[in-house]
Amino acid sequence: MSRNWRNTAAIFLTVLLGCVLFYAGTDGFRAFTAESARTYKLLKDKPKFPNVTLEDSKGRVYSFSEFEGKYIMLTFIYTACSDVCPKLEMNLAEVYNKIPNAWIGEDILFLSISFDPARDDVATLEKYRKAFDSDGETWRMARIADQDELDHLLEEFGVIVIPDGEGGFTHNSAFYLVDRKGYLAEVMDFTKIDEAANTVLTTLKNGTGE
Amino acid sequence: MKQTGLGIILYGILVVPPVKAYLESIMLLHMLVQLPLLILAGWFIGDRLIKKFHPFFTAWNTDGVPGMIFVVFITMYWMLPRALDEAVTMYYIELFKFISLPLVGLFLKDSWKKMQTLGKGFIFLNYLSMFALMAWLYIDSPIQICNNYLETQQKFLGWGFLVITIWMILYLLQAVFTDHSEKAE
Repeated sequence: MSRNWRNTAAIFLTVLLGCVLFYAGTDGFRAFTAESARTYKLLKDKPKFPNVTLEDSKGRVYSFSEFEGKYIMLTFIYTACSDVCPKLEMNLAEVYNKIPNAWIGEDILFLSISFDPARDDVATLEKYRKAFDSDGETWRMARIADQDELDHLLEEFGVIVIPDGEGGFTHNSAFYLVDRKGYLAEVMDFTKIDEAANTVLTTLKNGTGE
Repeated sequence: MKQTGLGIILYGILVVPPVKAYLESIMLLHMLVQLPLLILAGWFIGDRLIKKFHPFFTAWNTDGVPGMIFVVFITMYWMLPRALDEAVTMYYIELFKFISLPLVGLFLKDSWKKMQTLGKGFIFLNYLSMFALMAWLYIDSPIQICNNYLETQQKFLGWGFLVITIWMILYLLQAVFTDHSEKAE
């Protein structure tokens, strides 16, 4: 079968289009899953943490803006979760232990936010806090009682929560670092403890020099 | 033509919101039923279009290679976990799905009969290995790859891919052993 120029041109064109499709569809070969795309987009957009009202394990109610001036290391959890959340929190505890005491409380706070406010009341959060040996001060466990505020926050930070039909939720997990002004600074892989701790340390070192 | 009508009806059914929503609610149905059916619809409708625009297809898709490259790229794109996720959450990706996949069917129909045995074999083996890889990826993945689908659904899909892979291997084996006697070698 003889080839004509149109056929050859069409080959080049389809290859080119295919490459463009893949380049655009994966953010330049960086993100092959929606989760990595989400992280990539978050770091590009650096959304501001909405001013939600938190209720922590000590029953204190305050708005997020009270933390202004401090870095906040965040996770999203629900206490009835039996697989990824305990792992996430255990890893967060390890990161917490790697940060020098001088900074803890002064420059950085740790915060675990529950997205299951119906079940995670103050007493439940308190139990959860004890289980992870957090002090409730420099590492707080809190819920956002107002569903609209919660939904808005999850939307802003790209957290997708799907009820699994058995009373649990499936959700994407990561460590989030919010800067002193309340903007998202980093999204970290929660399975890489050392890497996350290093990122936080570097940020703090640069941030305390200001 | 009868085939064209069938294709249009099939496409029409797939576009109906409840059908669309149901197929997309389950990962296995989304990837292994909805996507192939869209291709099939394009294949049916393509019959008429290819005949109508015969000069165009002969000129630009003479040996079937350009069409096949198109088919490979588009289908590979739809195997990205991300594409599946985004089709559910973003309307323009969903729109792209309903346009690109019928086109795959159309070009597949036009290209396949024009391709030579070697090319066909290459494409077949390419998909065989790709499906095997997808099966392994989805069954073995310890994490949830798609944000909109649960891990158990992901495993189901993996097994679905494995069934297809095995079926393809069996087909290949029977083809090799039955064709062998006819070949000169």
